[in-house]
Amino acid sequence: MERILDMVASQAQEAEVYQVRSQVKTVKFQANRLKSVDSASEEGIGLRVIRKGKIGFSSTTDGDDPHLLIQRALDSSQFGQEAHFHLPSSGKVPLINCHDTRTAALEAQEMIEKGEKAIRLVRKKFPYLECEAEIEKMERKVSIINSRGLNQSYKKTDYQFFLYGFLAREEEFLGVGEEESSSTYGDYSRTLAERLIELVSLAKRRVRISSGKYPAIFTSKAVPLLLKSLKMGINGKVVQKKVSPLLKKMRTYIASSSLNIVDDATFPFGPASSPLDGEGIPSRPTQIIEKGRLKSFIYDLQTAGLMRTRSTANAARSYDSLPSPSTTNLILKEGEVSFEEMIHDIKEGILVDQVIGSGQGNTLMGEFSVNLDLGYKIEDGKIKGRVKDVMISGNTYKMLKELAAIGSEARFVGSTRTPPLYFKEINVVG
Amino acid sequence: MKAHLMSCLNKVRADYVEIRYEEIRTTEIHYVGKEVERIGEWEEKGGGIRAKFKGGWSFVSFNDLESLEKNLELAVKQARLLKRGKIKLAPVAPHDEIISLDLRKDPRRISLEEKYFLLSRYNQTLLSHEDIQTSDLKYADIHTIKYFVNSEGTYIQQEKMDMVLGMTAIARKGDNIQTAHEGIGGTGGYEIIEGREKEAEEVSRRALSLLDAEPFPGGRYTIIVDPKLAGIFAHEAFGHLSEADFLYENKRLARIMRLGRVFGSEELDIIDEAPIKGEGGHYLYDDEGVPAGKTYLIRQGKLVRRLHSRETAAKMGEAPTGNARAVSYEYPPIVRMSNTYIAPRAKTLEEMIDEVEEGLYVKGFRGGQTNLEMFTFSPEEGYIIEKGRLGKKFRDINLTGNIFTTLSNIDAIGRDLVLFTGSGGCGKGSQYPLPVATGGPHLRIKDVVVGGR
Repeated sequence: MERILDMVASQAQEAEVYQVRSQVKTVKFQANRLKSVDSASEEGIGLRVIRKGKIGFSSTTDGDDPHLLIQRALDSSQFGQEAHFHLPSSGKVPLINCHDTRTAALEAQEMIEKGEKAIRLVRKKFPYLECEAEIEKMERKVSIINSRGLNQSYKKTDYQFFLYGFLAREEEFLGVGEEESSSTYGDYSRTLAERLIELVSLAKRRVRISSGKYPAIFTSKAVPLLLKSLKMGINGKVVQKKVSPLLKKMRTYIASSSLNIVDDATFPFGPASSPLDGEGIPSRPTQIIEKGRLKSFIYDLQTAGLMRTRSTANAARSYDSLPSPSTTNLILKEGEVSFEEMIHDIKEGILVDQVIGSGQGNTLMGEFSVNLDLGYKIEDGKIKGRVKDVMISGNTYKMLKELAAIGSEARFVGSTRTPPLYFKEINVVG
Repeated sequence: MKAHLMSCLNKVRADYVEIRYEEIRTTEIHYVGKEVERIGEWEEKGGGIRAKFKGGWSFVSFNDLESLEKNLELAVKQARLLKRGKIKLAPVAPHDEIISLDLRKDPRRISLEEKYFLLSRYNQTLLSHEDIQTSDLKYADIHTIKYFVNSEGTYIQQEKMDMVLGMTAIARKGDNIQTAHEGIGGTGGYEIIEGREKEAEEVSRRALSLLDAEPFPGGRYTIIVDPKLAGIFAHEAFGHLSEADFLYENKRLARIMRLGRVFGSEELDIIDEAPIKGEGGHYLYDDEGVPAGKTYLIRQGKLVRRLHSRETAAKMGEAPTGNARAVSYEYPPIVRMSNTYIAPRAKTLEEMIDEVEEGLYVKGFRGGQTNLEMFTFSPEEGYIIEKGRLGKKFRDINLTGNIFTTLSNIDAIGRDLVLFTGSGGCGKGSQYPLPVATGGPHLRIKDVVVGGR
């Protein structure tokens, strides 16, 4: 890496070498049985240069011959975007819990046992359910060095457990997926199996719902569907291009005053926790929504430079891409209402858990219109049974303003940590 | 390369082993609005090893070719963790073939500067109206050499060039933001993406016109879909269901998907055909070294075949179809579609519209998904049909239906087959985007749930 930086130094105003090395191990179960044990080792280098004020970039998986890499990065800079930033110089790196030696050392055999256990628990309750599982662990080492003196590296681990149960009853399918992810190992077999069993049990009975407007509860698993629009709307790049509907909404109410959202890469052992962002800026929390008011967008160096503000340490990248703003751990603060209380509050409504077709509509504007893949009807304060063959639609921004309650128990779904949310109204078409 | 891969392969012992190694060179230009987000060239090299031992597989991917022998040993060791059962592979005769590129206009011979100027022109066209707030314009040429060798004596070297041009215009008037997109792509040369000013103009015009369209209220309708959506329909509403890997180990599903079952009218043919030159899903050998062909999935309304890997074919006692594909060396091959389409029949669009009392004509493609029972797909725009005439334009439309019933609700098939590759691809599991083409003629479908606002 240092060699590449030395070689390019005299030909560019600024330069940065970004290197990723990762080791992944995955065990996969299909049709209730262990199917495959996989490993992956990845290694790549990205080179970003600023030359005559413009950005150039190239990448390679072959670090032995840097000449071509350097030439390509320099060549591309003549057509590149004007740089509106300086690379960071050395700074203090916060200590963030995102690496765990036990996870790094985890053997396939142990992962196999966890998968077998989860499937055994589910099948004990529902012998006719066909299970799949995928358990993955990763260790990654990221190094960033630049011509302004930054020279940092950190290690990160990841552990993911996905469990899926499938049932074909004539031509009616039921597929339930449950997932946990973290930077550290945990024994999720029982938690996941129990959550899956609960959802399958509730789906035993089929009930109908007529088209109309109903109150709706989104489980933690379903909330990221709604947040897709918000993630786009707060993205510095979308803001800079003036296509975010939140453009002139800073400090105004964009959600119910009970809603608080923070982007936080420093969250201990979160799936997206890391000490540095993709440009070497130390991680820190950024309040996105405070008591319903929009507090901040998220930026990398370039979008921050263009918007005359500071990077929020949200540059995401891989070795083969330029940095771009993205959320890290998106944390939605818990409220005070339990899941049971929410259900109890509804006379007639729906519980949304899984959907298909998200992201196909005008997501930017907050619109969604999706098929209810796994959802339940609530009647007189009780979950009655599964509803299907309906579409639900609404607008994220409108719904966030009309929040009825926020759940009291949050969990990570991907890199979003959220409780269930209870909305006053959603549109159901059947 | 051949000798090296073969000699390494011969040093390990397992029931079956294969090595894929890929050298990929990409040139990309990406505009967002007036700024170039990314421009340049880069390369990637890597391999994937798959080993089978008794009842299981092991897959190992890597970047460093020097670590091949070490990784082969790891693959065999890991495969031995799977002790139970036995996996069989459908027999395929060994092949030894080198497939090289035959390009009309090789993008590698065109300078980055020339590509940049072409894209800049398209971008100006996209942004030419004051209400177009921003654009998203992406060009890529991706050159891949793929080496494949397995322990049964097959060696295949395939070279290909994927071309991609994605054009998006985003129009804005006050709080109203609307997007239109056109994806152009395929396997072949630079000519695929040249001379596309007209498409760029069209995208920009469509985004502007959506500003004035109203959101659709939703309901149950007879719909007519354009060839773009017909292709998505073939892919989402049936294609995925014909991928044998989801049913080969499930007896109930296999019974539901028994060959001979009637899915649609006698007019309905659905075909998957990889060897169509120029289309995104073009290949001659799949990633297990199986020759690709033309597979009728539905013929005269009946389920006649399905898409297989060697493993699913052996398990179901059917012939392999050459549909095991991996999105890159980082993934093992799984059962995937290639170029999937509905065959054309006799109706004209005018006749179809003429016969509709109340319905919706939908055009353009935003996305689609399936859970193998239900599917959804989203058109860009729709026109209400009243008493055989096209009326007002609408936006924010999403269609959904049940796979088992919707195919039999197709009551008219057009004569105008068009195949589209687009600029995206298909996703399955974590493998995305895989280049595929989809296509069909105009179709009329009864009783479709249309979700709106």
